[in-house]
Amino acid sequence: MKAIWRIRELSTLAILAFEIAFFAWYLWPGEGRPHPFLNAANALLVLKYSSIYGIAAIGAAIVIICGGIDLAPGAIIALSGVVAGGLFVDGHWGLGSSAVAGLTVAAACGLLSAALIVLAGLPPFIATLGVMGIARGVAFIITEGRYFDVSSALPADWRVAGIPLDWTSPILMVGLAAAFQILMTRFQWGRAIFAIGGNPVAALFSGVSVGVVRASVYLVSATLAGVSGVALTIVQGQGKADLAMGYELDIIASAVVGGASLSGGRGSVVGAVLGTLIFGVLRNALPQVPGATFYDRLIVGLVVIAIVVMDQLLQRRKGANA
Amino acid sequence: MEAVAFQHIDKSFGAVTALRDVTFAVASGECHAIVGENGAGKSTLLNILAGSLRPDRGQLALAGTPVALASPREALSRGIGLVHQEMLAFPNLSVAANIFAGREVTNRLGVLREAEMHARARALLERMRLPISPDAHVETLRPAHRQLLQVARALAFDCRLLALDEPTTSLTTAETDHLFDILEDLRLAGVTVLYVSHRLPEVFRLSQRISVLRDGCFVDTFESKSVSRDDIVRAMVGRSIPHPSTRSGRPERRIAGEQVEGQRPPGRAPTSGEDPRLRVTNLTRRGSVEDVSLTVGPGEIVGVFGLVGSGRTELLESIAGIHPCDRGSIAVDGRPARARSPRAAAEAGVVLVPEDRQREGLCFNLSLRHNLVLPAAATRGTFLIRGSEVADSNALLRTWRIAAPSTAITPDRLSGGNQQKIVVAKWLALTPRVLLLDEPTKGVDVAAKYDIHGIILDLAARGTSVLLVSSDLPEVLTLSDRVLVMREGRLRGELAGGADEEQVMRLATTAPEDAA
Repeated sequence: MKAIWRIRELSTLAILAFEIAFFAWYLWPGEGRPHPFLNAANALLVLKYSSIYGIAAIGAAIVIICGGIDLAPGAIIALSGVVAGGLFVDGHWGLGSSAVAGLTVAAACGLLSAALIVLAGLPPFIATLGVMGIARGVAFIITEGRYFDVSSALPADWRVAGIPLDWTSPILMVGLAAAFQILMTRFQWGRAIFAIGGNPVAALFSGVSVGVVRASVYLVSATLAGVSGVALTIVQGQGKADLAMGYELDIIASAVVGGASLSGGRGSVVGAVLGTLIFGVLRNALPQVPGATFYDRLIVGLVVIAIVVMDQLLQRRKGANA
Repeated sequence: MEAVAFQHIDKSFGAVTALRDVTFAVASGECHAIVGENGAGKSTLLNILAGSLRPDRGQLALAGTPVALASPREALSRGIGLVHQEMLAFPNLSVAANIFAGREVTNRLGVLREAEMHARARALLERMRLPISPDAHVETLRPAHRQLLQVARALAFDCRLLALDEPTTSLTTAETDHLFDILEDLRLAGVTVLYVSHRLPEVFRLSQRISVLRDGCFVDTFESKSVSRDDIVRAMVGRSIPHPSTRSGRPERRIAGEQVEGQRPPGRAPTSGEDPRLRVTNLTRRGSVEDVSLTVGPGEIVGVFGLVGSGRTELLESIAGIHPCDRGSIAVDGRPARARSPRAAAEAGVVLVPEDRQREGLCFNLSLRHNLVLPAAATRGTFLIRGSEVADSNALLRTWRIAAPSTAITPDRLSGGNQQKIVVAKWLALTPRVLLLDEPTKGVDVAAKYDIHGIILDLAARGTSVLLVSSDLPEVLTLSDRVLVMREGRLRGELAGGADEEQVMRLATTAPEDAA
């Protein structure tokens, strides 16, 4: 059995707990006044916006564990949101079928990445960079600069299966994270992904269908970005082509902070989701710190480097002890 | 009954023909060895058998039935297990996960049955008498255990034909015996064993029949009992060559103006009072090199022998400044030369010709010319002057007798031996005082090997100090004035050049528990 302190996700969780404790202390408002950071409404806000990153980060972690990289999620989030929103608002489709259409378009983007990487043999960085451009481009062509006002088309006080709107995407994130964590650790598919990330040649010689598994990974990543895009459109109430600009890098950073190694073979889905929460808390709390307005990007960058360097040092010490 | 028959197999990679009309058969239940020089096509043949390469022409027949293997997966499903030359393991996964990689045991829902795989892995490791835990991470295992783990992987399934490609390169004598016991048990249980090696004593010990490949062509199959070692060597190289471990086989020492015949006179060992050219004192690099002290005099060739993982490469890398040491001192001609970078080492007169010429020795995107002048250009830090580059590199091609049509081509168009000469030549253009050589003849053919030996002896005759690491024991013994033996990061003994192989191997392989 794995010793409990060896579980990598726990250190990510510890960083998150430390971060929350730090801001709870730093932003302490004094006697009698409500805490601006540590309250239920703010926690839900953090969860709501982090879940957009979090759902896509599940896919990013899987791609990175498989030894690849996916730059397309940000653009796919926008495209699937625009497709779902457009069909719902302009096309008067049902919400369910609009959402399914958004996911289908996202999955098609994933298949395109997979085909470019597996069949045409392009490096994942280049293939997904291209798909990123295509997806973002198609989103702009569809909207022609407009945005689809989903919120006014939705019935007031609309709920999914009795759950308040704000809660849907966090719940979706937790459910998907749990499902993919189990797929990655308890199923052959996940084991094959770890094997390919660790040594693709050995995986091929061990009888792993390397091409099929690699293709599936990009398909899953794009589809999860689609889920995230549809959720974002409903949460923000609008479908826009310039949504989620630059999210791909935040998503990759979250996966890495959560323990994924860009050289492949290491990482976890739950870690990546915790990573997005670390950034979610930062993005939420930093604007409340007086004078930090212009420093927040800088601080986020420093935090990424600090966490990854710390992890590397711990890994090296573990290696030296072994 | 034939377990496998190769029928008129052809295979080329671009302009290079790897296999030409190879036809022979392996009988069911025998141990069949395939021998040949580097580049003879042994590995290509095994890759065809394992389904990772497809022949251009000809076919494979398994138990009399022609088959076309489309993928390694299909080969595995037909009971063909391959143990690769490179250690193909998943360093990030546990031992049990490695054994079952690609063929995990699952229940009907597809959930991995970890407990069952764990138990089966444990039983298999016990049967192989391997003292490793199924939970251990493979990156923490010794190289030998990683190699044996590959055998375990093949055995975890119904493997009827087990092919091994040079499996003993990183094993100690005891571990080799262990592997051979396992293979013999398997053979008695009806498994056909195909064994590729260039170590003839092992081949004779293990196999019933030996097939020889030369330059991609099948030469002949011999019965091990009725053939001599010399016959096999002659079939491998196509001519008689002197036994490599005898002194008469030693290449002549070439010194301008004079020819020294036969035995090389011992190098000028440093006389007391005189500083040696290279002095290494208590050098330690955590985890790989422990407290190593040595000296190399001017014109002396000192061999370092040790198995893979003994720390020999790390020792050279520390001296050359690639991985600076944690403790200890290095002096060249009495001046401290503990380098923090290869560049600093080169300025002190120490250069390393690395083992892996593909990864560390050559830039395959650059022309021969740019490769050849790179160290000189980088360490001098001057402007690049095209005219002198052309002249310098052409001169180097002539000096080293490198068979290349021009210096404008890229290194991939050269043979392994010529690539190796380029690596050696580019560093020697700096006229180093101390030359560190890591496996200078690995993967080159016999002719190139003799050329390179000649170059090394020539350099020593001109006063360069040479520290030579090689896993080719006869090579170390013929070239060196003294031989240092390393095991587990420490120097375990020093022998005079020409010591016998057994003495060296004993020092290199004695496990700590046996030493008591």
